[in-house]
Amino acid sequence: MESSRTEGILQTIRVLDLADERAIYGSKLIADLGADVIRVEPPDGDRLRLRGPFASDNDGEEHSLYYAYYGSNRRSVTIDLGNARERETLRQLALSSDVVIDTGTLASADIDVFDLLEAKPELVIVLVTSFGSSGPWAEYLTSDLVAGALGGFVATTGDVDTQPLKAYGELNFTTTGLYAAIGSLTALRHARETGEGQVVELAVHEAVPSCLEHVLMWGWFHNDLPMAKDDVLARRGSLHWSDMYEVMDASDGSIMITTTPDPMKQLAWLVEMGVEQDLLDPKYGDPEQHRMMVMRMMEVLRDWVAQQNVEDLFFEAQERHFPYGWILSPDRVAQSPQLEARDWWMNYQLGAHIVRGPGAPYLLEEKPIRKESSVSEVGADTREVLEKIGWVER
Amino acid sequence: MTGALKGIRVLDFTHVLAGPYATRILGDLGADVVKVVSEKRPGNTPDSTYYRMWNRNKRSLSLDMSTERGREIARALAERADIVIENFSPGVLDRWGIGYDVVSKGNTGVIYIQMSGMGDGGPWGDFVSFAATVHALAGLTYLTGVPGREDIGIGNSFNDHQAGLHAVTIMLAAIEYRRTSGKGQRVDLAQYEVGVALTGTALLDYFANGNVQKPVGNRHQHEVVAPHDTYPCLGDDRWVAITVMTEVQWQNFCTAIGRSEWTGDPRFATALARVEHLEELNNCIADWTMKLDAYDVQELLQNAGVPAGVVQTGKDLLQRDPQLSHSGFFRKTIDAGAYNEATPFERIPLQFSRTPVEEYRAPRAVGADNAEILGEWLEMAEQDIQLEEQIGTLR
Repeated sequence: MESSRTEGILQTIRVLDLADERAIYGSKLIADLGADVIRVEPPDGDRLRLRGPFASDNDGEEHSLYYAYYGSNRRSVTIDLGNARERETLRQLALSSDVVIDTGTLASADIDVFDLLEAKPELVIVLVTSFGSSGPWAEYLTSDLVAGALGGFVATTGDVDTQPLKAYGELNFTTTGLYAAIGSLTALRHARETGEGQVVELAVHEAVPSCLEHVLMWGWFHNDLPMAKDDVLARRGSLHWSDMYEVMDASDGSIMITTTPDPMKQLAWLVEMGVEQDLLDPKYGDPEQHRMMVMRMMEVLRDWVAQQNVEDLFFEAQERHFPYGWILSPDRVAQSPQLEARDWWMNYQLGAHIVRGPGAPYLLEEKPIRKESSVSEVGADTREVLEKIGWVER
Repeated sequence: MTGALKGIRVLDFTHVLAGPYATRILGDLGADVVKVVSEKRPGNTPDSTYYRMWNRNKRSLSLDMSTERGREIARALAERADIVIENFSPGVLDRWGIGYDVVSKGNTGVIYIQMSGMGDGGPWGDFVSFAATVHALAGLTYLTGVPGREDIGIGNSFNDHQAGLHAVTIMLAAIEYRRTSGKGQRVDLAQYEVGVALTGTALLDYFANGNVQKPVGNRHQHEVVAPHDTYPCLGDDRWVAITVMTEVQWQNFCTAIGRSEWTGDPRFATALARVEHLEELNNCIADWTMKLDAYDVQELLQNAGVPAGVVQTGKDLLQRDPQLSHSGFFRKTIDAGAYNEATPFERIPLQFSRTPVEEYRAPRAVGADNAEILGEWLEMAEQDIQLEEQIGTLR
């Protein structure tokens, strides 16, 4: 498979990918940018290859779509950690890399990261743990749901009549993966400038509360926030902390309605439509009553939106520069004219079969990101990679 | 500034969350981030509590971009920047005369990143968006909820953070590329495309199988496992997440809660059976958890090797979480900046052995660093800076 050696803006780096689901999004982003990423798997294959959803190709073979997305564009090398010689091979692989992203494999192989650094001072090693390398919860186990619960994300999501909820997929792990990529490339920059590598530690439990928008603000500054009643804001469906964004039902679908950035402009639109109800009452004109007016406006909007066709309302709002958002299901997203016009999608190879799938989250002028994505067979590149580092036979 | 990104100059035109979150990270890592603000653009100034959250470790330059001189100074700064970053709708910087085509003529190495809502071009290119808009259009709102409810969505502006993190990733990659090629480049990051990428496996499922995924509550999206949910505990709105990911964990779970017989119960003996009897299983577990304190459930199960954790609120994180306390995650800035006292904050989650991030400075008052920045970046003489102040360029 040649795809992991195609061009890209990171074609100058070699990465050893020892990341499980907690950080695999980080090595994916780096691989998609053209780095030579070697993913180490046990002889019977990465357990993430067994994650759904699945698709059958024309020959009836099942392919993991999870792995097609998260595990693609790497070279695959198998290592049996139960075998001392192969553990030494892993050490050699680490030493032949610029960056190692690890969620615990090195420790399982009894490889000390500071020994690696001594042998190769410019090496960058990113160590991802669930809760940190020390502390009362250091040995605790996590999953994306548990990480989101302990990290403060789950408490924000769900409605008053549901339990607290996770988001779609494993977005707490996505955040962790992004920080792993940032840690890798930051330390790489320092190594390129100074020749000095280092160990970068990252805990899922710290990545999650780094992305909570209002949650910590509520804790620290609730006295400065007119809408805050106390230091915690309980989950409340789609209603944003500002009280100014909420999903409403139109006649044939749902739509996120907001009075931002200018409630007065929204009022003018309601007046133009003749559906302002009592919003012109002088009591709402008092600047002191601005919040009361906004809350009332959301009620008036709810009545009005219920009578509207969702698609027409969305486009009319955007025409008037209101940031409304039509609630779209994946099949609708797949038909987005915006994504089509920006030539966003890319092709994913599943055996002999090619399917369309998500493109890259940024468009580059120099060395555009590849438009084809594929997964190596388990161990497909073992011999070639080991030959290159002078480790021919095992 | 010290840190791994020492020497990287960032000219920062961002506002609200997505862009400022990106440049906050760059500032934490040691880059010299010059935040361009104006007293004429309220909302993007330190008197906003929101601004206070996302603008530490940046210097503040006030520039009136409605003046010719303001735009000239901005252009001169852009020509000396390693990174120019903004999250306006497409076209604003072009109108100010500092579009990529202009800036890159005098600064071929510039990494110029535009984080608009919908990206540059396309039929939706001029659409306005906040995170909630992107969540809606990207499918994240639809997919985050319980069966039959496609209207809940994520309870915070998550995609803004994601756009910021993706922006930092691509900027750092572009720095590595510039090292060997000498070339800078323009990056067009659509916050919408970041959001759509987060639903990647649902889109592949649609294209490969025609399957339109629906909200699944707290069920695992990629593996057949159960239990995997949040359960009520003692107290007002207290919950614990319990996730049994393997059969060994299931046996540990049953032993820990004193229900060893469940491992032999045909309804619960395998993960598949448990998923088939999910409501029954969840009710049985909730009967147990609701009599207990959530932290006690967490400790009992974690000690038995089962992933479990309290649904912690922000207040729990700040006041109760012993792990975050142990790692010194919450701190106060070393100075007061634009405020009367130090600003509390959460440190960056990356801990570098050689280039640790130790200095966190509070957001600065509007224009607090004008003289220093113009002196350092443009070598402007003191009297020239004073003149600009007098004629109103620096406000």
